[in-house]
Amino acid sequence: MALIVPFIFIFVFVFALIKKVNVYDCFTQGITEAVKFTVSLLPCLAAIFMMCAIFEASGLSDLLTNALAPAFGFLGIPPELTKLVLIKPFSGSGSLAYLNEIINSYGADSYISRCACVCFGSSETVFYISAVYFAGLKVKKLAAPIFCVLAATFISTVIACLICRVI
Amino acid sequence: MNVIFTAVFISSMIAIAICAPDRLLSSLLGGAENAVKMSLTLFCIYAIWMGLSALAEKSGLSKSMAKGLKPLSKKIFGTDNDLANECIAMNISCNLLGLGGAATPYAVKAIGELEKESNGFAQKLLFVINATSIQILPTTVIALRASAGSVSPSDIFFPSLICTLISTACAVGMYVLGRKLFAGHKKWR
Repeated sequence: MALIVPFIFIFVFVFALIKKVNVYDCFTQGITEAVKFTVSLLPCLAAIFMMCAIFEASGLSDLLTNALAPAFGFLGIPPELTKLVLIKPFSGSGSLAYLNEIINSYGADSYISRCACVCFGSSETVFYISAVYFAGLKVKKLAAPIFCVLAATFISTVIACLICRVI
Repeated sequence: MNVIFTAVFISSMIAIAICAPDRLLSSLLGGAENAVKMSLTLFCIYAIWMGLSALAEKSGLSKSMAKGLKPLSKKIFGTDNDLANECIAMNISCNLLGLGGAATPYAVKAIGELEKESNGFAQKLLFVINATSIQILPTTVIALRASAGSVSPSDIFFPSLICTLISTACAVGMYVLGRKLFAGHKKWR
């Protein structure tokens, strides 16, 4: 499995070489885009991390987790993932914050972290996407598709936790 | 996001004011500090993948991938608009590679094109596919795990693939089925 990433890199680099692209210039240009992108992300990240920090410090997050833990536990979702699962549909950077926290506090190879990674990797920011995609258009009847997506995401979360326990 | 942010912020601040007022500033500062650390980690990840995707785009690799996927998108989305088909193909290719940020502009363009022929079904189908995530390679997650010292950061590859397939299949299935069953109901039209 570890071979996939090196393979993609070698393939793209060799392909670019064959097509006579200036590899160094082009790669650097991509990184310039990355700088812009990261800087544009920083304000949201800062605000959301602050929100997470005081949510945590106030004890409200424990309250919420404890309230939902029985229902989630029944479906096999570890209570540690509650906040991640709840915030993911709304905000990519917010859920990234929680994912990072989970990885750092439970260790990258723990069951909880692997679960969190699979849930994060196999879901999307539903509400954010719906807002961006349909901004300025007349199509407004989005309730049904959004419901389908949320239900499917929840099903895949339950399955993710199941698979991680087996593997 | 605005509503959630404000609600969580205010309720947390009230709770903190009651329990431990001296911890408010220190936890806000800690949060901001974490954000800076996180964005550094993120920058490293994006630098790698956006550099690579710039190469793929410049060398024409992305275009040829899009061309290969075009007949398929024509069949699924039922549109003859060439630009829309190409955008859909590019959007799905980027998604498959885990480059969600690169995929969004193409989706917005494709949905704008589909709006011209008022193909609401295709628009919503594209949204459903995008919103359930269809990536083969969860690059951000793998890189995050690697930077946290994981022994084998890519061993979440198969579980992620299975889950992402299930969620997309479920959502598309539910949407298509719902449209058929409740054809008369205005919410599904």
